[in-house]
This record gives sequence, C-alpha cells and structure tokens, in this order.
Amino acid sequence: MSDSNENGTPQMREIFGLTLAEMGEEHEDILVVDADLHTSTRIAHFKEKFPQRFIQVGIAEQNLFGIAAGLALAGFTPFPCTFASFVSRKAVDQFALSICFPALNVKVPGSYVGLPTSKAGASHNSFEDIAYMRTIPNLRVAAPGDPADMRAVMKTAYETEGPVYFRVVRYSLPDIFKSDHTFEWGKGELLKKGTDVTLFGTGMMTDRCIKAAKLLEAEGIDAEVVHLASIKPIDQDLIIDSVTRTGCAVTAENASIIAGFGAAVAEILVEHYPVPMKRIGVQDQWIDSGEIEELFAHYRMQPEDIAAAAKQAIAMKKGRK
Amino acid sequence: MQLNSEQIAFLEDRAYQIRRLSLEMITCGEWGHPGGSLSMAEIMAVLYFHVLRVDPKRPDWPERDRFILSKAHSSPALYAALALRGFFPVDDLYCYCQLNGLEGHTDMRRTVGLESSGGSLGMGLSIAVGLAWGLRLREIPKVRVYCVIGDGESTAGNIWEAAMSAAHYHLDNLITIMDYNKVMAKGFVWEEMGIEPVRQKWEAFGWDVLEIDGHDIQEIAGSSYKARWVLPRGKPIIIIAHTVKGRGVEDTEFNYKWHTQHPTPQEADAMLRELSIRCGKPEEGYSRYHE
Repeated sequence: MSDSNENGTPQMREIFGLTLAEMGEEHEDILVVDADLHTSTRIAHFKEKFPQRFIQVGIAEQNLFGIAAGLALAGFTPFPCTFASFVSRKAVDQFALSICFPALNVKVPGSYVGLPTSKAGASHNSFEDIAYMRTIPNLRVAAPGDPADMRAVMKTAYETEGPVYFRVVRYSLPDIFKSDHTFEWGKGELLKKGTDVTLFGTGMMTDRCIKAAKLLEAEGIDAEVVHLASIKPIDQDLIIDSVTRTGCAVTAENASIIAGFGAAVAEILVEHYPVPMKRIGVQDQWIDSGEIEELFAHYRMQPEDIAAAAKQAIAMKKGRK
Repeated sequence: MQLNSEQIAFLEDRAYQIRRLSLEMITCGEWGHPGGSLSMAEIMAVLYFHVLRVDPKRPDWPERDRFILSKAHSSPALYAALALRGFFPVDDLYCYCQLNGLEGHTDMRRTVGLESSGGSLGMGLSIAVGLAWGLRLREIPKVRVYCVIGDGESTAGNIWEAAMSAAHYHLDNLITIMDYNKVMAKGFVWEEMGIEPVRQKWEAFGWDVLEIDGHDIQEIAGSSYKARWVLPRGKPIIIIAHTVKGRGVEDTEFNYKWHTQHPTPQEADAMLRELSIRCGKPEEGYSRYHE
C-alpha cells in the first residue's frame, strides 16, 4: 500500500483505518460494513482484527446503508464505508431517509473525497458530498484537517448519538495539531492570527491555507487562518469574530464551491456580517483523471491560488472604503 | 397449526376494524393510500394479534419481534393495527396527516410501536436484513424480523440487493411477506413492469418460498407458523401473499385510481356501509360524517 508522502506521513485514509481498528477494541458495539472496497478505504485493518464484526455487502451501496440502519436498530454502532461519491450519488436516499430521518446512530466515512482519487476521474471524484450532506436534518458533517484531527473527529463521532458524516481523503497531510487535540461539534480552531484577511479552511485545504498565509506574509500581508473541521454545525461565532477583525475572507475546500463549505461560511456572513469573500474549490466542473498535484494546479486549488484570492478579497475590501 | 373458529372470527374482526379505521383516517386526514392498506388488512391482523411477540406496555422490550413496513404508504393499516393492539389510543388515528399527528408514511421517532421510518419504496427490506443480522449477533434466537414488502416496489433494485444479501448471510430469522395485490400506483403491475415469475425469482435468490391466499386468515396463520417454527434451515423465508388491492369495497378493488386518493366524507360513508354489510357487521358509515 503506497500510503505515505515523501516524508513518510501516512495518508488520512490509513489514519482512519487504523483508528477504526483501535476503536473496535475498545467498543464492541462497532460494526463495519463494506461494499467491496476494504483495502482502498483501509477498513481492512478492522476486518483483520474483527472478522466477526465485519459485514460485506458487495457492490450494493443502497443495501449498505439500509443494512447499517438495521444494525443501528439492533443496538450497534455501524460504520458503513464506501467512496464519498457513492454515498452522495448512489445511496443518498437510503442514507437520508433510513438513517438520518430517524436519527440512527450510524457513522459514515466518505472516503476518497475531492481530487485525490488515483486518476479515477469523474465517477469517483466526489465534489458534491458536502453540499448534499449539510442539507440533511439530524446529520452532523466534518472534514478533519490532519491525523490528530481525524482521530479526534472519529472519537467525537462515536461519542455523539446520531448520524455523522465525515470526510476521509486519500492524501497525506502534515501535522497541524498535537496528539492531545480534541474535536468539538461547532467549534473551529484559530490557527494563526492576522489582520488583513481570514482564510477559512476545511479538511485537507486548511494545510493549503497555512501555506498560503506564508506566501502572503512574504508580500507583507497578514492573513488569519481558521480551520473549520465541523462543517455542520459550523462555528458561527468564530467566523463572525474573525471577519470583524480582518474585514474579508477566503474559503478553501476540496469540493465544489456550490452549496458546500464556502457556501456555508457565506450564508453566515451574508446574514450577520457581510464582507468581501472569495471561494476556492471545484468550480462547477467534473473532475478529470490526472496526477494528483497536477489536478490541484488545474482546478486552481493550490496555496498560490488561495493567496491570489486573498489579494482579490483585500482589494474588494479596499475598493469599498 | 389450525386456528379454531373462534380465533378465526376474532382475527377476521380485527381485519375488519383495520380496514374500517384505515378508511376513516385517510378520509379524516384527507390524504393516503387506501388500496395498499385494504389489501394487507388480514396480514396485519394475523401478525399483530396472533404472530408477533410484542408488548404494548414495553415497546422497547429487547426480545420483541420486529416488524418493518417497507411499503410504508400503507401506514394506515399499520397504525390501525398498532392502535387496536394498544400501542396508542385509537383516537390518535384521527390525527393522521395532521401537523404533529401521525406522519403520512412512517416516522419511528414520532409513533410508538414503529420499528423504522420509511416511505421511499424499495428500502425497507435492507433495514430488515441489517436488523436480522444484528439480532443474530446478539444471540437472541427467538426473535424474528418480519418485513412486509409490496409487489410494486419489487421493481426496485434495492429489494433484490437486500434479497441477495439475506440469503448470503443465511438469515433464517427474517420472514418477508409480499402483499402481492397486483396493482401499483398507475396500473397493473404486469402492465407497468412485469415482476413474474415471482416465486422462481425468490427461490433463485436462495429463499424458502411459501405462497398463500393473503386474505385467508387460516392460511396466513399457518404459513407464519411454518415460517417461524418449521422452515428455518439457514435460508430467509418469504410468504407470497396473493391479495386484492383495495379489498373490501367494490369500487376500490383492483382499481389503481384508489392507490393514492382520499374519499370525500360522503364517499367514505358509502364505502364503510358497504364494507360493514359485506363483513356481516351491523351497517355502519363514516363516524365523522356529520362533524
């Protein structure tokens, strides 16, 4: 398994798989349900340890979520695992109606989110899942930004009664948080204070916001960086507090900007504290096959693109004065 | 296991009451699906008053049987059975489809006795499969999971994903009953999307299959006994219950126009009078006709 980047950091899917297997030791009620992807999603780690608590449904995602609903009704905490594009495109009715409507205790990792899917192309690149998931009542949505954040999100997801959807990226990310990091629903993290612009990141894009802030710093621009792993509920107070100080914003997500994370931030700003803002993410396009870094450049989701958007937002702010 | 005439008379009366209350609540709520509710009245009567090990005083009893209604548009028949069984007052049925009352399809968080939420067709059997798998892991061998599916929703792929997996997992604690009432929302099943040969399909998917007259109390009870106590041998079991959509009132029988349509109070009054006479009961119209 080619799991790590050049620095030897495991991919987030690997962190997820290992953490799930660890949680399985502590919590006997955890069952893992697979749709023929366990080595890709890394729930193979759980399968090796707990074959009796691992259920294979075949390539049948609608059945995957129906079965998960039934297992929750029997008092278990199921983790039905598949690619995010299949959660939101193939089985969202089963997920929404059978699980989220009755608020069943099911934890859904959406794997292979966004651009990094090993050249799979449009069918496997999920860009719409944030938009779908955050409209479903009773559902909480998260996108962890580093290994410690993944472990913290999973711990909190388990401890939270009711359905949870969290994003798992097939990508390695550097450490942002210390190993004792905790995650709380509706709470963001102020990673770097700044005065000129706020860069709001979620999931893997927070790392790129940090890098963008460094690029901006070299140009004398003082950017604030906020990580919002909890997309729903979202930290309204932190969002408003930050832009009150900086006066403009950029959002960055490894997903479509339409109705997704940037839209969630925009909704809050428009209703409570309108400021100029720009959104970085997939721009109403299907995602092509290609080398992963090549894709990030092609879809303009690099730190340089975030920095450029930040300068545009600052210019809009100054133009208003 | 043969029922005696007293038991049959009792269950037939329950089926009559389920039909009657279904029509009353659909009329009162001004929305609903009479056809599919009327076709499964005997099935619900036998399940809730003869087969299911449930206790209205302990709706969360861990060792209770579980009932999943996949064809959740027929919720009136289920609500009526639950109310008659004592899960909630019969008067509550008259809040059907009213804000904060009984949900048009099924909402398990709102109505005591419901084991799942549904309404989008084809989805309930998967829930039943998960439940049966989970209860087997919990080693509660006495418990059975019952699931009523429709013939119309058997055109949905999700049903067959669930069917394949139930056999793969050897879930012989799962008993599915198909309310094969021959009519779907806009016409006869054979016209809309043919599902035959139904028996052979389920057999080919690895299920044990029983086929009955779904309005015959003795046959429903007999097949349920067989499914629960005689057949289990590592295969899930389906009872194909041949029924008449809209059974009980001449105008609604095999009439797709009464799949989704609520009668006016005047129509309901005539329907209920016809039903009562046909069932050998004192003539009785719509209870809220003059309100």
